[in-house]
Amino acid sequence: MNALRIIGAFLRLNVQVALAYRSEAVVQILLNLMWLGWELTSLAIIFANTNELGGWGPAELVALLGVWRLVNTMMSIIVWPNTEKFNQGLRDGSLDYTFLQPANSQFLVSVTRIELWRLWDFVIAVVLIVAGLGMSGRVATPANIATFLALTVSGAAVLYSLWIVMIAVTFWFTRFDNNVTILAALMDAGRFPAQVYPFWLRLLITFVIPIAVATTVPLQGLRGELAWWETAGFLALGVLAVWVSSRLWKAGVRRYSGASS
Amino acid sequence: MQPQPAHRSALTARPALPVSGVNGKPPIVVEELSKTYKVADREAGLGAAVKSFFKRKFKEVHAVQRVSFQIDQGEIVGFLGPNGAGKTTTLKMLSGLLYPTSGRASVLGYTPWERRAGYLRSMTLVMGQRNRLAWDVPAADSFLLNKAIYRLSDADYKRSFQELDDLLELGPIIRKPVRNLSLGERMKCELAASLLHRPSVLFLDEPTIGLDVGAQARIRAFLKEYNRRNSATVILTSHYMADVVALCERVIIIHHGMLRYDGGLNELSRRIAPYKIISVHLGGCDDCVLDAYGTVLPGEDETGKKRLQVPADQVPAITARLLAEQPVQDLTIEEPPIEDVIERAFNERAFNE
Repeated sequence: MNALRIIGAFLRLNVQVALAYRSEAVVQILLNLMWLGWELTSLAIIFANTNELGGWGPAELVALLGVWRLVNTMMSIIVWPNTEKFNQGLRDGSLDYTFLQPANSQFLVSVTRIELWRLWDFVIAVVLIVAGLGMSGRVATPANIATFLALTVSGAAVLYSLWIVMIAVTFWFTRFDNNVTILAALMDAGRFPAQVYPFWLRLLITFVIPIAVATTVPLQGLRGELAWWETAGFLALGVLAVWVSSRLWKAGVRRYSGASS
Repeated sequence: MQPQPAHRSALTARPALPVSGVNGKPPIVVEELSKTYKVADREAGLGAAVKSFFKRKFKEVHAVQRVSFQIDQGEIVGFLGPNGAGKTTTLKMLSGLLYPTSGRASVLGYTPWERRAGYLRSMTLVMGQRNRLAWDVPAADSFLLNKAIYRLSDADYKRSFQELDDLLELGPIIRKPVRNLSLGERMKCELAASLLHRPSVLFLDEPTIGLDVGAQARIRAFLKEYNRRNSATVILTSHYMADVVALCERVIIIHHGMLRYDGGLNELSRRIAPYKIISVHLGGCDDCVLDAYGTVLPGEDETGKKRLQVPADQVPAITARLLAEQPVQDLTIEEPPIEDVIERAFNERAFNE
């Protein structure tokens, strides 16, 4: 398939960039481990004072941290670096070339930059999920695991779509440096289960900036807490989000073609 | 000479060329193409800024106004005009990047702004001031990316690459990271990347900008050869007249978004600057006064040549008088410098008088 060939070519480019900046990769991996230490320490502090948080025990929060990191890894492999590339392209006009290539422009702006060394974060995330579940003493059935994977993919699709919406909206405004700030700021909210937040914030992170859909929800699926119709609803939300965002992207590109000089 | 409205003379001034392209239509047909932007309009100062925050006033900018022309297959046409004349906007509409406000265009049978894959695969837009190559890696890797995006087969890619390598003498520069290349080397790579898919229509927006004279000449020679081999249709903008003289028999002049002239370069100078330059070298007469023959142009070269600007129709008479009345050692008659012609052409009144 041609999309795979294009991704392959972008990967080649990005491997070279990663190799050219090896020391940066090492520093980032160390920094990331430091963050992990901090995140686990803060969980330890919380559970030194209480036994549960919004109905969730420490082991479950470790697993949630893993899911959150899984989503965060996706954000740091493609979303943040491509945002930077996109904004730079808008500023210096090189985005023009993207629109004149015979390939889907949304696809192109999504895969131009790939921060490969971040793949290492996936390993940490999976270890956290497995360890968390192990500590909680739960046994995940294959059906639970399948639900979890499907919900994770759909949650990631929701966040990705939200990102596409945010950068597409940039086409209507002239300032574009802050287009994803709110997404980045609210990402952090996903580290804790949605249930611990006050009602209004829970609404915000479930429906407006649906971080919870990509963190709390998949984990609930893994623990077998979701009814089938809830699972189906969240999966449908993923499909809907992808559809809406691609429509908005196309409208944004049309706007760009109509208004820019 | 009686100047006519530019667009009409443009259509009549050119001899009918054999038309080819799509179904006998010329590859590029533009009809009444217009583009109007809305820009926020406010006066300077804080008060005006606050006022415009609550009530925006917009001003319409007519970047391109009812421009029409046709270009035949294999032609290289120079697109000229001062900065802000609407050249780049027109090229962006023709390449499909911008929607026009009104008017039609057909390039290779496609409507450009629909951006059909078939269209995008058969044309290219090169902007001299913009980058398409990835900055941190060698150009060769960006080429491979284009191979994937344009779906070139291995054989096609190889053939195309070898030809470009041959013509542009790319050699080792494609294996150096792009950020380490000189501007001239980078432009060669940019051109190669833009042409790997062998487009038959090329829109070149200042492809030689910022290059030294040698590099400019190499790019020009390359474009000419590419055009000859592929009988590609080319629209080129440039501020370097050497580019235009070397490549374009036909020029289109745009000013304030309107088409002012469409026709041959030589004809343009006859129309706009109906004068010639007579250079004379006088023997033993350093302070001779030549004002009686024509306008003496300032500056003379180290050999003591004097330059006279005279109306084209009086050249034979004045030459005869000079030879008869002055101790002329050497005399040459030259066309007015093309920069001068273009500068006059950019001056609005040139076509309106």
